[in-house]
Amino acid sequence: MEDLSQLQEAVITGDATVVREVTEQALAAGHEPLKLVNEYMTPAMDEVGRRFETNEYFVPELLLSARAMKAGLELIRPLLIASEHPSAGRVVIGTVKGDLHDIGKNLVAALLEGAGFEVVDLGVNVDPQAIISAIRENDADIVALSALLTTTMPSMRLTIEALQEAGLRDQVKVLVGGAPVTQKFADEIGADGYGSNAVAAVELAKQTIAEGR
Amino acid sequence: MNGRQRVLDFLEGRAVDRIPFLPITMMFAAAQTGARYRDYATDFRVLAEGQIRTASKFDFDYVNTMSDPAREAADCGAIVQYFDDQPPAIVEDQARLADRTALTGLKIPDPLGGGRMHNGVKAVALLKEQVGSEKMVEGWIEGPCAEAADLRGINTLMLDFYDDPHFVRDLFDFVIEMELRFARAQVEAGADSIGVGDAAASLVGPAIYEEFIWPYEKKLIEGLHAMGTRVRLHICGDTRHILEGMGRLGCDIVDLDSLSPISEGRNRMDPDQVLLGNINPVSILRDGDPETVSRQVALCHQEAGPRFIVGAGCEVPRDTPEDNLRAMRDYACSHQP
Repeated sequence: MEDLSQLQEAVITGDATVVREVTEQALAAGHEPLKLVNEYMTPAMDEVGRRFETNEYFVPELLLSARAMKAGLELIRPLLIASEHPSAGRVVIGTVKGDLHDIGKNLVAALLEGAGFEVVDLGVNVDPQAIISAIRENDADIVALSALLTTTMPSMRLTIEALQEAGLRDQVKVLVGGAPVTQKFADEIGADGYGSNAVAAVELAKQTIAEGR
Repeated sequence: MNGRQRVLDFLEGRAVDRIPFLPITMMFAAAQTGARYRDYATDFRVLAEGQIRTASKFDFDYVNTMSDPAREAADCGAIVQYFDDQPPAIVEDQARLADRTALTGLKIPDPLGGGRMHNGVKAVALLKEQVGSEKMVEGWIEGPCAEAADLRGINTLMLDFYDDPHFVRDLFDFVIEMELRFARAQVEAGADSIGVGDAAASLVGPAIYEEFIWPYEKKLIEGLHAMGTRVRLHICGDTRHILEGMGRLGCDIVDLDSLSPISEGRNRMDPDQVLLGNINPVSILRDGDPETVSRQVALCHQEAGPRFIVGAGCEVPRDTPEDNLRAMRDYACSHQP
């Protein structure tokens, strides 16, 4: 009989092989896919986020855990989609137009996914039109925008303006973050929230969804 | 006492007339001449003009050739995207060493072979010729973690520390040899000092830093000192967890970014370690006012003590109000170390 506590521990330690094996065994044994996510993987990523926040984990360890979690989610997600389980929320995320830096965005995406969000990651250098299309295709609740450079921060404003022009601004909450981004800037451009780090961004996303429901 | 004498004497521990002033400018310097940043990064004459005009207008004690992290990677064959108004960036999903086995076939590019490194060497030579007797000329190279990230892809390198430590060491060996050759060419062209940018090093924890990165940074810095040049270490981001290691490297100047308080740097490094920084470049230098800038620089000075150089935590943003930069200058010009 598979030991499901191994699943949680393997996500925390970043062991993708064990995560895949235990997930396969658990699904074969008839465990509910959603239970594997909610009772083991999400708590594991919560713990990873806690360790990241308290400087027990750094970027390599967080990415390792994210990869392990994805190894399990690849097996689970098709089953969740088939059974139409609701996610914690749908997030379209990307690094804004002109900016090719993605490590911060990747950390946020991983922790969001770990928290049960459905994440549509558009990558780097994302044109506002691509964000608009992704919102429409995925019926997104949140748009999360990242920028590392002061020179690309204006793309966040342009993206929000494009959402307004497309008539989508009231349908989604826009969250922004990245090294040079500040709460003041977020307020100036009309974003709905600002996260100063990856863990804060996930809390903000949870809060945003809770307020909207 | 001119800027060059001031900095070099200060680094030697001799008395100087005022605190040295060495802020990093790239896009701000390009904007001073109205140049496109694309041209600043790719044409040494544009870079030199921007640096000289900026250093002269704001009484910097030095000029510097840093423009972007992609010079070495570009010469190694990495795909680099150029923008008109911001620094070139490496296209990570087509990283030069996306396939680890490509390292064995990768040759160290000639820093005088007509590529982007050569352009950087020419910038050093031109700056030396035009202002080298008055201003310290600082060349620039990437550190082991930053350059490895540029070649391998930063996300992938972070996993490599666990997946394939042997490959990481081979990659760092390659990088150190390349960077020392690039640095030697700059020193021979007249650089008084070499800046080492190792931004990606702030992303790892103390264990990985000590095991993988520190030994290679140390080797690089010893190699630079063996050339007779001075070394400035610049690691962007939050370095609080690796400050002791940074202090043990023997750098002539350690920059601290705004996320790493000067007081922590001072407490965890040798009292004689020269610290440079570290007001927040965005929220204070760009978005603040001259009084706030002056007050924050004074606080840094107070925390750092006499072995202190005035500068921001990182690059001076392009749209920084000139009066704010002058407030930094005025502090440096009116205070003794």
